[in-house]
Amino acid sequence: MGNIAFGLNINLIGMSLVFGLLLLLWLVLFLIGKIDNLPFMKGGEKEAISEEAPAGSYSVSGRQADEIEPDLMTAITIAIAAHVSSRRRQAAPSMRMTVPGSQIFASRWLAAGRTRQTGGWTPKG
Amino acid sequence: MNADLISRLLVGVNHVTWQSLVMLAIAGLLFYLAIAKDYEPLLLLPIGAGCLLANLPLSPMLAEDGLLKVLYDMGITNEMFPLLIFVGIGALTDFGPLLENPKMVLVGAAGQFGIFGTLLLALALGFTKNESASIGIIGAIDGPTSIYVSGKLAPHMLGPITVAAYSYMSLVPIIMPPIMRLLTTKKERMIRMPYSQRTISRTTRILFPIVVTIIVGTLVPFATPLIGMLMLGNFMKESGAVERLTKASSGEIANAVTLFLGLAIGSTMVGVTFLKPSTLAILILGILAFTFDTAAGLMCGKLLKVISGGKFNPLIGAAGISAFPMAARVVQRVAQEDDFENFLLMHAMGANAAGQVASVVAGGVLLALMGAG
Repeated sequence: MGNIAFGLNINLIGMSLVFGLLLLLWLVLFLIGKIDNLPFMKGGEKEAISEEAPAGSYSVSGRQADEIEPDLMTAITIAIAAHVSSRRRQAAPSMRMTVPGSQIFASRWLAAGRTRQTGGWTPKG
Repeated sequence: MNADLISRLLVGVNHVTWQSLVMLAIAGLLFYLAIAKDYEPLLLLPIGAGCLLANLPLSPMLAEDGLLKVLYDMGITNEMFPLLIFVGIGALTDFGPLLENPKMVLVGAAGQFGIFGTLLLALALGFTKNESASIGIIGAIDGPTSIYVSGKLAPHMLGPITVAAYSYMSLVPIIMPPIMRLLTTKKERMIRMPYSQRTISRTTRILFPIVVTIIVGTLVPFATPLIGMLMLGNFMKESGAVERLTKASSGEIANAVTLFLGLAIGSTMVGVTFLKPSTLAILILGILAFTFDTAAGLMCGKLLKVISGGKFNPLIGAAGISAFPMAARVVQRVAQEDDFENFLLMHAMGANAAGQVASVVAGGVLLALMGAG
């Protein structure tokens, strides 16, 4: 019974502490978020960008990268995933003799099949 | 050949016990889960290997200078391995969704109820206070935190607790959806939450890990190692100044430490000490901890729904655990079952990131309450 009372006590104090600490964290996060709205922060960010990117040129700074449209980001992610899976499906790069997609490219499976067709391992004649 | 020589040659065979055979089967099960089922293979496979090597008869790897014993002393006794893993996790985690929506920390706090609820159940089952707290920490759904806390409070239970924590983490997509469907109505699951992305400046992203470390470290000193290492990884990532260190922390170092950690944890699963009724109880309590976490998160979500006038989807609450980003993906999947065009992912990611911080805070609070030295 003593143990249960101890457990209930720990439950009450523990959850209160966790909630209390995280509420404090919420307040801090809220205040940190406000930093971005300060006028000098906005000015500073703009200046930084204009210094990095002179008129007429284009460079992808950290801030610009953050502003990629969600749709574009999704498309890029899907394209990368498709590319990775296609690379995996093909033979390991170190084993390749030709660039994937070229006319003479063949997977290891296909290459093994061709080898068996053209040169049997039993001696001829 | 005399009998003495034969007996010396067969010394290994003579020391095979039923416990070691059962443990070899358990190692096989871990291999199966890792390879065939793809459940946390990076950890379950080394744990299985450690278990296998530790349970071979008269295993020299557990001797004073044996590799497994050295690894255990080097990284588990002093909690170095879980902390190094935390640096890697920090370097891989994006706290942006949390910074965009700070109120999600409440959901993260609710998601820690499993820790304390399970502690109570473990006490009722007759475990000691320290053992109960160690079992409860499975509810953090966070492998390194579980290892860190149980290593301090009940090192003899490290094996089953770690296996439970990592196995259940990998079972998030299986365990969570039925609870989510049970505790929410279809109407609630279909609530749409518009998402407007707010650009978080680099300054804010850099300040976040520093401020969180100072606040949490000051208020809960026991959580300093955990939060400090998590935030160090994130700080390195967001600073952009030490790309090589960030890459090494999240790649090579994390991979090497994961291997060492898995082997060392597996070496604690020696048949004589592992095959006890308490191990089964730990596994059952672990899954209950998981259930409590999900249910408490959903309840918090329902409360936020009421407070927000029906604009908050309670499913987000289930993402307030530490399994990042798996829990958020599960929330998105369950929401889309009822409404294919309902996109909750970014909100859920915020709750999930909050769960990551909250589990560390809860681990520190638990250590403080248990008076761990």
